[in-house]
Amino acid sequence: MDNNYAAPADLGRIQGVALGVGLLGLIAWVIGVVVSGNARNVFFQTYLVAYVFWIGIALGCLGWLMVQYLGGAGWGVVIRRILESGSHTLILMAVLFVPIVVGLGNIYEWTHKDSITDERVRELLEHKSAWLNPAFFSGRAVIYFAIWLGLMLILRRRSHKLDETGDPNLIQSAQDWSGPGFLIYGLTCTFAAVDWVMSLDAEWFSTIFGLLMIAGQGVLSMAFIISITVILSRREPMSHVYQPKHFHDLGKLLPALVMVWAYFSFSQLLIIWSGNLPEEIPWFIERFKGVWRYLGLAIILLHFALPFLLLLSRDLKRNARRLVLVAWLVIIMRFVDLIWIIVPEFEHGHQKHLSEYLIYIAATIGMGGIWLGWFFWQLRSKSLLPYRDPQMAEALAAGGHH
Amino acid sequence: MAAEIQKQEHVDTRPPVMGPGHNFDSLTQKIIDIVLMRGFKKGWIFGFAIVFLGALMLFNTIAYLVLKGVGIWGNNIPVGWAFDIINFVWWIGIGHAGTLISAILLLLRQSWRNSINRFAEAMTLFAVACAGLFPALHTGRPWVDYWLFPYPNTMGMWPNFRSPLMWDVFAVSTYATVSLLFWFMGLIPDFATLRDKAKNKVQRTIYGMLAMGWRGDARHWHRYESAYLLLAGLSTPLVLSVHTIVSFDFAVGIMPGWHATIFPPYFVAGAIYAGFAMVLTLAIPVRKFYNIEDFITMRHIRNMCKVMLATGLIVGYGYVMELFMAWYSGNTYEMFMMKNRIFGPYGFMYWLLILCNVAVPQLLWVKKFRDNLLVVFIVSMFINVGMWLERFVIIVMSLNRDFSPASWRMYYPTIFDFTMFFGTIGFFLTCMFLFIRFVPMIPIFEMKTLLPESKVDEKKVEELVSGKGPLGATPLPQFGD
Amino acid sequence: MKAHSKNMTKQEESGIYGLMAEFDDPSAVVAAARRTYEAGYRRINAYSPYPIEELSAAIGYHKDLVSMTVFAFGILGALGGFALQYWTSAIDYPLNVGGRPLLSLPSFIPIIFECTVLLASFGAFIGMLAMNRLPQPYHPVFNLPSFSRASHDRFFLCVKADDPNYSEVETRAFLQGLGAKEVSDVES
Repeated sequence: MDNNYAAPADLGRIQGVALGVGLLGLIAWVIGVVVSGNARNVFFQTYLVAYVFWIGIALGCLGWLMVQYLGGAGWGVVIRRILESGSHTLILMAVLFVPIVVGLGNIYEWTHKDSITDERVRELLEHKSAWLNPAFFSGRAVIYFAIWLGLMLILRRRSHKLDETGDPNLIQSAQDWSGPGFLIYGLTCTFAAVDWVMSLDAEWFSTIFGLLMIAGQGVLSMAFIISITVILSRREPMSHVYQPKHFHDLGKLLPALVMVWAYFSFSQLLIIWSGNLPEEIPWFIERFKGVWRYLGLAIILLHFALPFLLLLSRDLKRNARRLVLVAWLVIIMRFVDLIWIIVPEFEHGHQKHLSEYLIYIAATIGMGGIWLGWFFWQLRSKSLLPYRDPQMAEALAAGGHH
Repeated sequence: MAAEIQKQEHVDTRPPVMGPGHNFDSLTQKIIDIVLMRGFKKGWIFGFAIVFLGALMLFNTIAYLVLKGVGIWGNNIPVGWAFDIINFVWWIGIGHAGTLISAILLLLRQSWRNSINRFAEAMTLFAVACAGLFPALHTGRPWVDYWLFPYPNTMGMWPNFRSPLMWDVFAVSTYATVSLLFWFMGLIPDFATLRDKAKNKVQRTIYGMLAMGWRGDARHWHRYESAYLLLAGLSTPLVLSVHTIVSFDFAVGIMPGWHATIFPPYFVAGAIYAGFAMVLTLAIPVRKFYNIEDFITMRHIRNMCKVMLATGLIVGYGYVMELFMAWYSGNTYEMFMMKNRIFGPYGFMYWLLILCNVAVPQLLWVKKFRDNLLVVFIVSMFINVGMWLERFVIIVMSLNRDFSPASWRMYYPTIFDFTMFFGTIGFFLTCMFLFIRFVPMIPIFEMKTLLPESKVDEKKVEELVSGKGPLGATPLPQFGD
Repeated sequence: MKAHSKNMTKQEESGIYGLMAEFDDPSAVVAAARRTYEAGYRRINAYSPYPIEELSAAIGYHKDLVSMTVFAFGILGALGGFALQYWTSAIDYPLNVGGRPLLSLPSFIPIIFECTVLLASFGAFIGMLAMNRLPQPYHPVFNLPSFSRASHDRFFLCVKADDPNYSEVETRAFLQGLGAKEVSDVES
């Protein structure tokens, strides 16, 4: 099979738009931070939200990359380059992690445990300080990134070499790495979720939290992948490649993941709500108050119920234009969910003015410009399909597939 | 047989889902001969006699239990739940693989499921029957078990719907019902085949009644397929919900070692893990005994090994998270529970569990072992034991040393705990023996769709319709108006 | 037999249910079905030992109502599950359980879910049977001895006698021309 899958020229234009919008976001973010009057805290706290959002897509892409090798399914081949480009941004995310280390004191309450007056909490944090201390925290992050980047580079090298040599053993090798790779990925993502997000409330713990975050990034990245495939499907050469069956496959993965995410979330809620233990329930009590209550309801309806019901329809899944609308809804709701998980920890019961939440949006758009710039740079640099993959013919076959 | 498989491996790295050289006739005959044959194979009678003894042991234990009360078991406060609930969870878990093989693989259009789904679904039904016995008898007065269901009664009371035990009643009874429907629905067309192929009047009458007049009408097939797919779609979340609710039985309480948010996915993974192990434990000897290696091929064995490995790793992940979070929580009771689990009086059980569920199954990473039936069989036996131990570790070890040391007490099972447990295994196998003998254990009509001759060749159809084919000579008749 | 009674169908009048053509190849029966449909026959039916999607399409059957029934029953189950719990726990027998609210929605979800699935499954199973008019112990097609192979390895196409275009001679000739192995009368 020949390589005539070079990226379309106007992908550069889209990249430019992304960078431009990102720049506007950055400006708005800076203005917001300065105006807020509490610049250091606001900067790092908004930074964390944006960071967790974008690394969710990057990590999700890495996870899907391994899953599609393991599953050996046709849908994997046609999105593999998107996954490779998405996971390549982990290099960027590794660099962008530095500010979090710098701003630890502005983000995490466990960094200043000595100033906490409540003796019980102080003792608890003392116990946890073996795990939650700046040095070990940063050291662990180095390990996580080393593992993720290692996995990403290993898989990427095999895929690019396949383009050059066409040696099918490379696929086998990628599969062999993906099995144990996914295991290590699951563990590192879990501990990263504990470190970066769960430890915001250092007293709270939930054993499902790692899985919940992994499912969340799975949903987010799948919605992102669908958006990119739809953009590509409107342009040469991919307009000849993507067929309704491909969207149908991706459109089935999305509600499946939405269901898994909802299932984990509900399990966590029900178990903690029923147990009603003083060390667990405050996390939810805080999120059942004020604006968070309505945001929580919105998450149930728009992150779970609506996308799920819409995606039951076979016709919708096969229609790229409508599918992408659901994907965008999911992406937005993932952001809302992250806000709901993270931001109450910065308020300690004192609700902020609504306008302050705009800074979180600006920060996420700002970082998104850089992220997408990197992503499209990667996507443009290679052929859009691993055209020498032995599964290509099967994946591209016009299909009466359901 | 091993040599045969070896030979096959050299040619193709991915063995087929069905052995070569079959057609409609050979396939149907091979499957229905097991069912419609006269008399019984000697091996079948011998095996049945043994397992039926086990079932008798169960019936006797139940009779004695009803006569004397649950005091004949070893559980007593604080260990109010022991073998009964361990066995309940163990059996329910085994049942889940059946539904999953059937339903999820159907949704994923994995054609390799077609030969093992019936067998797996039957396993589900019998496993759920065994599971249901335990809580039903553990209530102490099983003759008033109907109190569990919400019905208007003279006591003026309703069940407490905030209790996970109530959710369990709904979950398990729904699961049993839906599994039965799914299984029976898959059987209807095959009963029709048996009816039409019956060798005597008794067979024709019985299978005819079960087939309910099925005649393979194209419109019927259309609705049938829709309904079957929808049932599969419903069964998939159902099976997850059932073990989730089983895990809620524990997690919703506040007992250290039970109250963990990871329980739902961790129990579900454990259930699939145990279930696939049980499918392999049964399938490996059965395919040999009935010479159906053509239908349950090495491809099936390999795929099941991979599923086992994956779910086993999730279970292992659960162990890691429990350990880590027990420490991370900083909670005295959580930390003590974990220490007690690993180094307490039942500590050896925990280490055995790690051996069976975490260490040994890692062999399945190696392709050579996945292709070796003996290794696979042994590994799945380890998992069967390991998953039983897991429930023992969770249930007994949390209860025997809870918050207040004054109420600590060791738990020792009695002989009746064992006769009950091994009795259900006998009962389960008795049902399996009867199933294999009287019901086609491989879905005939679904296997037919795997044959190349079953496919509609669109090109040939076009030719025939447009008149280029051999039939083209006949002109279409024209009707008036 | 009162041959001219109003209630008598054409089938009963002639004592013939229809004409049955037998094929031994799935492509042949699909082609034959398509041509029969194109020829204007509407009261036709096809039989096969396993589901063939093209076959039901060929006789003009495309959409069934099973998913509708399932959906309706599912909704019924969800509402019923909720109503049962709400009415018993909050209205008829309000009981304080560990300080939880009378309407403990998180606790009610599992049973709502189970009821939804249970009823939806009934919708699938019973709906399928009812729309197929099963169980049906007697059906004319079973009068044909060779029909016993319809569950085994043969494919059948039947034109019913009550089709407006049905004519004993012409339809038989037509079916024979479609490459049927055999065309036989089915007694009603």
